Amino acid sequence: MRIVLAYKWTRDPEEATVRPDGTVDWSRAKPGLSTYDPVAIELARHLAEAAGAELIGVTAGGKGVAAPIASKAALSRGLDRVVIVEDESLAEAGRSELAAVLAEVVRHIGDVDLIVTGDSSVDVAAKMVPTVLAGELGWPAVAEVTAVSGQAGALRVERAIPGGVQVLEVSGPAVLAASADAAVPRVPGMKEVLAAAKKPVELLDLAALKVPAASAVMTVTGRSRPERKARKGQLIDTTDPAAAAAELVTALREDGAL
Amino acid sequence: MSVNAWIVVGDQPAIGNLITVARSLGGPVGAVVAGPRSVAETVAASGVDKVVWCGAPDDVPAEASAPAVAETVAADPPRVLLAGRNPGERVLLGAAAARLKAAVLTGARTVSIDGDDVIVVNAVFGDIAEETVAVSGPVALLLDGGSVPPPGSTIAPIEEATATPLGLKVIETRTSGFDEVDLNSAHRVIGVGRGLKAKEDLALIDALAEAIGAEVACSRPVAEGLNWMGKDRYIGSSGAHIAPQLYLAIGISGQLQHMVGVHGAETIVAINSDPNAAVFTQTDYGLVGDLYQLVPAITAALK
Repeated sequence: MRIVLAYKWTRDPEEATVRPDGTVDWSRAKPGLSTYDPVAIELARHLAEAAGAELIGVTAGGKGVAAPIASKAALSRGLDRVVIVEDESLAEAGRSELAAVLAEVVRHIGDVDLIVTGDSSVDVAAKMVPTVLAGELGWPAVAEVTAVSGQAGALRVERAIPGGVQVLEVSGPAVLAASADAAVPRVPGMKEVLAAAKKPVELLDLAALKVPAASAVMTVTGRSRPERKARKGQLIDTTDPAAAAAELVTALREDGAL
Repeated sequence: MSVNAWIVVGDQPAIGNLITVARSLGGPVGAVVAGPRSVAETVAASGVDKVVWCGAPDDVPAEASAPAVAETVAADPPRVLLAGRNPGERVLLGAAAARLKAAVLTGARTVSIDGDDVIVVNAVFGDIAEETVAVSGPVALLLDGGSVPPPGSTIAPIEEATATPLGLKVIETRTSGFDEVDLNSAHRVIGVGRGLKAKEDLALIDALAEAIGAEVACSRPVAEGLNWMGKDRYIGSSGAHIAPQLYLAIGISGQLQHMVGVHGAETIVAINSDPNAAVFTQTDYGLVGDLYQLVPAITAALK
């Protein structure tokens, strides 16, 4: 039995700046695992252990996703092996293109019973790659998954709905997108980091995967930096909390905010 | 040139904004509904040209009808596919996009037609930048659904599509005990971050919220992780985007992922004990200090 964990090696827009012409400067952003992917890995690890399944990490992206630091970061968190597609053409790939590549990787691995992903990536946050991936494979997808139990093929999946939680029975293969609180991720110790260096890393050639072409071509014809409302940036002296509160309330009333 | 559009609907008929965008493209607008029959009926009265209902038994979630939704749109392929941001609709849109091999964009600010291209001004990377994208083929857009459209004078016919649903079944539904909220309709919102030390201390925030008539919201870790509030109350790139008259950020550091959700606020106030917190660079009024002193003082000053 095989469980695939799709992860993303990327950068945090928090550390990026946008130039006046609208292009994004990532030079100060340090690459890493997408913020909540360790949660998805932990969730998948528990499932794999319970079922005695092999847990295979997959990722696709531009230059850097196959670097040892990237594969070790994923492997040290509990994956048994990783399968990676590194191709510079994927650096700017759209959601459906990435999902189509991942679908081919899953077909290449073969006999996959379950795919676990994070719900949202730290950089793009589109939340669509897992759902298009499921569509490519013809599998059901469940998003915002908060807990999973049982075995692949007969899973009990809890997911957040407005005002509560719904428990679903999932039969057959599926794509589960884990919410940020689905598990508490482990921090890899020295032992896990050393073991990660010895785990198998398989690199796939994008051209050899023969990913079907998209029917739409996206061309970026313009970039801009969104205009933000100008803020007053006024600091109120808080030495005396009561006076500070009175000053704030007066200012907000004058602005019509209260 | 006009283009045809399909709106993908799950459990909720809150698609007012999607109808507005679809209508602006000038072509016929269809809706494919994977939720209950009652949703299909509401949608049929909302001003679309046709409705296809992919009905499934009550204990089958909307996502299970993804193949029927994908086949329905593929039988009459649109240039633009639209869906709201609910998890169920994301799944249905993903299935339809995969079937059409469509491009997918999730930050659309405007959608227009130029010759043979669909032009989308799209916010990227948590809203820090915008790209104008020309799409040569079908494009699937995830948008804010908007409100439930009021019933119009004409009612579109409802066709039924049948397909074997995927293997999903609802076996239990539990309420979280948290009240549901629509942050977008609130004029004032207080956002709470990890500067608050304990769940019980929310009483301080609730008192201030009552004094100014605000809804209480939070940063992501407070809803996902600490679990102090329902997930519909967290603000940020993957949560709610709001534009109230007043936003008070209390104990919030001001990370990009949170602040993109409140850029539209008319006035922003921040209270934080760290004078170097990023939030102070993005506010109208900043108060550096202990929220446990300042919040009750503000509540008192309002009386």
